[in-house]
Amino acid sequence: MNAILDRLAEVAADPDRYVVEWKRTHPDRKVAGVLPMNFPEELLHAAGFLPVVIQENNEPDTEGRVILAEFYCGYTRNLADQAAKGRLKIYDAFFLADHCVQLLGAADVMRFKQPHTPIFFGQFIASMSEPSTPARVRGELDHIVAEVERSTGVPLDHGRLAESIRLYNRDRALLRAVFDARREGRVHLSSKAMQNLVKSSMVMDKAEHIALLEQLLSDGIESHDPHARVRLHLSGHFCHAPKQALLELFEDCGAEIVDDDLYHGRRYITTDVREDLEPVAALSQWYFDRNVNVPCPTRVQHNADWDTYLTKAVSESGADGVVILMAKFCEPHMLLYPELRKALEAREIPYLLVETEHAGLPMETLRTRVEALVERISRRAAVAAS
Amino acid sequence: MTTQTGSTVTRMQTTRAGGQMIADYWDNIFTARERGKHVVWYNGSALNPIFQAAGLEWCHGEAFSARLAAQHLEGPAQLAGAEYGYINELCSYSRTHLGCAVLSNGGGPAPGSETGVVDALDQQELASKLPKPDFFVNAYSGCSTGQQWDEMTYRVFGRSIPIFNVSIPFLWGNRPDSTYMAGQEWDEATDYVVGQLRELVTFIEAQTGRPFDWDALSESMSYIRRASELRLEGMALCERKPTPATYWDWVASIAHINFLPGDQALVDYFASVRDEIQARVDAGVPALENERYRLYFDGIMNWNKLGWLAKRFAEYDAAVIAGRYTHSSFWQEPQLIDPEDPLRGMAQHYLLCPINHSLKTLNYLTLRDCERFEIDGLVFHSTRTCRAFTNPQTMLASTAREHLGIPAMFFEGDVADASFYKDDILESRLVAMLESIDVRRAKAGV
Ligand code: SF4
Ligand code: SF4
Repeated sequence: MNAILDRLAEVAADPDRYVVEWKRTHPDRKVAGVLPMNFPEELLHAAGFLPVVIQENNEPDTEGRVILAEFYCGYTRNLADQAAKGRLKIYDAFFLADHCVQLLGAADVMRFKQPHTPIFFGQFIASMSEPSTPARVRGELDHIVAEVERSTGVPLDHGRLAESIRLYNRDRALLRAVFDARREGRVHLSSKAMQNLVKSSMVMDKAEHIALLEQLLSDGIESHDPHARVRLHLSGHFCHAPKQALLELFEDCGAEIVDDDLYHGRRYITTDVREDLEPVAALSQWYFDRNVNVPCPTRVQHNADWDTYLTKAVSESGADGVVILMAKFCEPHMLLYPELRKALEAREIPYLLVETEHAGLPMETLRTRVEALVERISRRAAVAAS
Repeated sequence: MTTQTGSTVTRMQTTRAGGQMIADYWDNIFTARERGKHVVWYNGSALNPIFQAAGLEWCHGEAFSARLAAQHLEGPAQLAGAEYGYINELCSYSRTHLGCAVLSNGGGPAPGSETGVVDALDQQELASKLPKPDFFVNAYSGCSTGQQWDEMTYRVFGRSIPIFNVSIPFLWGNRPDSTYMAGQEWDEATDYVVGQLRELVTFIEAQTGRPFDWDALSESMSYIRRASELRLEGMALCERKPTPATYWDWVASIAHINFLPGDQALVDYFASVRDEIQARVDAGVPALENERYRLYFDGIMNWNKLGWLAKRFAEYDAAVIAGRYTHSSFWQEPQLIDPEDPLRGMAQHYLLCPINHSLKTLNYLTLRDCERFEIDGLVFHSTRTCRAFTNPQTMLASTAREHLGIPAMFFEGDVADASFYKDDILESRLVAMLESIDVRRAKAGV
């Protein structure tokens, strides 16, 4: 089991190395860099690309620092830095569907720094409740298909697309099995290992990832006694993975993470693409289904909201508290935060807001705050028990 | 060394008087309920001609935030927003307006409570004077925050007030034929927005229980078209050296073109603006006594520092002449408006919002205006809480340097939160840029 987890951790730690190696072994194939969070990778897979969700890297931002202002989220500034340093040259094309103003700012930097690499924005309208949205999203998907066909020079094979959808669904189902087992207390994997499972899935060839997951599940995931004093739900953190040092800190302070709605977590894997629909229509439907399953504040939908989802998820997992991980300067998250706060307070669920940045997290201050949360929850449990 | 000779800006009489039109407009909004009118809150695009034709009273959220900030009355609304949970790095327009929503909805600090803001409760009264809406309409171009913000306003009011979203696609420029106002992407986006405007009209009819008055829309759009032409004629006169009017004069007229009713009074206002500029040209009266530098301003307006900024630049004989916010927005392509069939031209203007373009088009617009107004340098207002306007700025600066050889300066400020200002930085960077203009001129022997 460790060998598999180690392999997934290795890919998660250095996605660029995986991409370069994949290109070496697949000289006739292209790699597409995908920007988060809603682009349907299945389409690119079916056309023969290796779709890779571009990850924040661990290098300090230097050249890119001056391109986007300091009040951008860590992910977008780091993307700008990667573009400025030429790190994104390993990709043959870029695709995105999300209209986040900061993400588009970073995408403009990518086009400015790498003008010969096509960067296609097939905008998925964010207002989900309007009657005109489904047709428009479907129209954008048709444009994306046309762009993919232009890029590969061959028409998209819809049979292959159906196969890619099945493959991606399989990967998601396997990941969900692990996440569900964690929520139900049947496995106790560190939150770092859980993140590696998802992050590697965003990078690796799906068939290879599935094979590793199947092996992992058939070997059985060793369960250790967590010795945790409290059980926490991690919430938020769009587009990029929270730093692993931060995840370790939660566990060091006596918490076990039992569930999450992170993009590098449940948010990425919750929704399957329907296999009973025509495949492009199914991808369009997937976009709408996802926002019902785990609502996202980057979308606007009157009858689905994240705060309701969050409190329900907490009661399902039995988590004692919530850590809201917010990428500093992430506007949709800042806008929704008061509603999350209201919902948690109304149900007396203890919570802690932690803002993250690409570099320079004040770990010692954070440790004190996390310890205080753990203490607060433990004391409450003790009072309730007495 | 660049010296201050202390030019002062000769402010235009017309725009001074125009302030009253805006004050009257807001006073009118405050009494809408007493007059039994339906009130719509909206954000983003200038949908007001549609509201006017539907017999509504319209309240533009950003405009109200801007007004509070310009009058230095934003404190209580921002405080109410902060108490509700909005973090101060969030767009300050939205924080201010959401704070107003909290206050309008009966929330906010209680009378007698310690707020830390001088005269807070009087000011709070103003912020809470906005009449509660009957419904919301959002049509925000370019910036994703704009749409999310109104969804939150909808939630602050307990989801009890209907809301309609018009989604304006971002003009990214995927295809080689995508240029300013041309190409397949432009045509398709136009069709999509027109379709949504028709749905909006149906929504409004359902809200008001009245059939929509298409003739009234045509009429108001014909006034707006004429007002826009006059505004552009005034702007064209500023190509002259020295300029007869400045960017700050155009800023003073933003509210008029952006949300006042399309009627004869609007046309008369812009005719007076144009005429006053023409009179200055005829009499040889410059906007600045001693114009030595011609500058372009990029960024969203910094409403709480307007007068101060105008004075600061003038002190160094720097005439700020044009800008993205004034010259690339607000019915700026009147030829697109066909009063007989107005929706298409309206949709196109919503798409032409200056934050709804990717870098390629913004480079085109910036270089075009810098050449047209013979600009010596660019001033970038790096707006702390408005990423939409700040997005392409460093790249625009390098394009201008590369193509026109002109320098740029950056200063940090904000749309509606004065705490993000660093005044001394503005001054030192301005001096540095003016010096580099001097050096360039000396080298060129000008
Ligand atoms: S983390 Fe937030 S601000 Fe950054 S790109 Fe994602 S949604 Fe946008
Ligand atoms: S960030 Fe700027 S463009 Fe976006 S909603 Fe706020 S003021 Fe408008």
